[in-house]
Amino acid sequence: MTTTEALLAEGVSLVGDRFVSQNSPEPNRIDLIVEPENLLACVKPLAEAHWGFLSAISGLDPGVDSGRLEVLYHFRNKAAVLTLRVSLPRDNPVIPSVCGLIPSVSLFERELMEMFGVVCEGTPDPRRLFISDDWPEGVFPLRKDYIVPPLSPSGKGEKGSTA
Amino acid sequence: MTIEQKEKFVIPIGPQHPALKEPAHFEFSVEGETVTSASVRFGYVHRGIEKGAENRNWAQTLYLVERICGICSNIHSTTYALAVEKLAGVEAPPRAQAIRQILVELERIHSHMLWAGVGAHEAGFDTLFMYSWRDRETVMDLLETTTGNRVNYSSNVLGGVKYDFTPQQLEAILKGVDYLEERLHYYMKIVTTDEAFSKRTRGVGHMSTEEADALGVTGPTARASGVTRDMRVDDPYLLYDKFPVTIVLSQEGDLQARFVVRIQELFESIRVIRELAHHMPEGELTVRFPRRIPEGETVLETEAPRGNLFYFIKSDGSDRPYRVKVRTPSLRNFTSVLVGVINHQLADVPMILAGIDPCFSCNDRSVVFRRA
Repeated sequence: MTTTEALLAEGVSLVGDRFVSQNSPEPNRIDLIVEPENLLACVKPLAEAHWGFLSAISGLDPGVDSGRLEVLYHFRNKAAVLTLRVSLPRDNPVIPSVCGLIPSVSLFERELMEMFGVVCEGTPDPRRLFISDDWPEGVFPLRKDYIVPPLSPSGKGEKGSTA
Repeated sequence: MTIEQKEKFVIPIGPQHPALKEPAHFEFSVEGETVTSASVRFGYVHRGIEKGAENRNWAQTLYLVERICGICSNIHSTTYALAVEKLAGVEAPPRAQAIRQILVELERIHSHMLWAGVGAHEAGFDTLFMYSWRDRETVMDLLETTTGNRVNYSSNVLGGVKYDFTPQQLEAILKGVDYLEERLHYYMKIVTTDEAFSKRTRGVGHMSTEEADALGVTGPTARASGVTRDMRVDDPYLLYDKFPVTIVLSQEGDLQARFVVRIQELFESIRVIRELAHHMPEGELTVRFPRRIPEGETVLETEAPRGNLFYFIKSDGSDRPYRVKVRTPSLRNFTSVLVGVINHQLADVPMILAGIDPCFSCNDRSVVFRRA
């Protein structure tokens, strides 16, 4: 067993039996499918044991037809990457905030919320981080059903603003 | 409740900002001169790059991601290229990998030197600022000589690199880094011995190893607090397994340590550039790259000048990315500023902010939002 495999095995055993299923998309990676209600229970042992660090939270839109949205929590420990994959219903994407366990990811959650419309329940600061104040409510640019409006010939965007 | 407790002021700073050349909005709550809380708002230079990637093919996206950052541009294109090559099951030839590694290390040198200049300027030491920016031109000239460009070198293609290094160019690189090494020794002497400079940096913005870990900081900022993390060592990419770097650490955890660690890292970069230049693998520069990439997902993290750079890429089997997620080092490091400034004097805020070498364009990516 290589060091990376040993690290991954340790990470999976920390999560215990709280995940639904697992697969290994690449030699240094394991994905654990996790139910949203079990997310905090899965993150807690990893955070407490300092198994690597939560490197990023990726939002993923598997397509409008799927009726789902996915949130991926990538934990990195040396060469090993353990990803907790949570699938949420598209019409009510609510997930508990992990800021209570890992306070440093507040900015990640703010980005996830404004880009995908996922609600991170209990996140300390739910305000927008990147999107401008005049962006319409309820429009989430990284969802697949958001189509980028074509630029006008002047290259100044649909509104034709000169800001 | 006393009068002092009631008098809480919120000081808005930015987006136009005296300490930084890029836009961000901060709100600092102060009691007297002491900062009690801080919050941040980005987005002033958002260009919607993550969404833009979904509307471009694999090769076009390479040029798009190179424009995420105006300083560490090449590490973005290199990381993206490595990730996409991994998805496609293609590996760039060894000579291409060596050229990529020399370029990312040259980039680290000019990025750290730029930061050293900005940091010195914030500390009121403009002579060092001018020295380091003048000396940085050595690297910029080398980049221009080898790739034709100073900033977006555009040296990568999917499956390799565009430009070969001639023996004369390698010699110029070696000569350039010799000069830089000498200058860096001089900077090191200044930041560690100059009395006035030390007063602005020693003990300021202190972070213990535990705090650095809890705040999730990365890169030289983390290593200056003794966090042993460097993707070049933890998960070697390019030729870092054959031409490794040593992790530079400090236990001090203050601003001075962040200067020292960055300068020491450059000695490592210079050493590795020399080794590569003396042992350049021979052979092709590119391999054939498919237009469509099989379905799959990959995660790739590299060590950008500012720290851990994260890419998650998903392919649905078509000729364009299904999803490109980028998490830049600065986004991690900002959390440390928001927490780190609390209980410091307001006057120290610019230095603490500058201490993480913040980069706003890297953060501001993913919104479709155009400025004329």
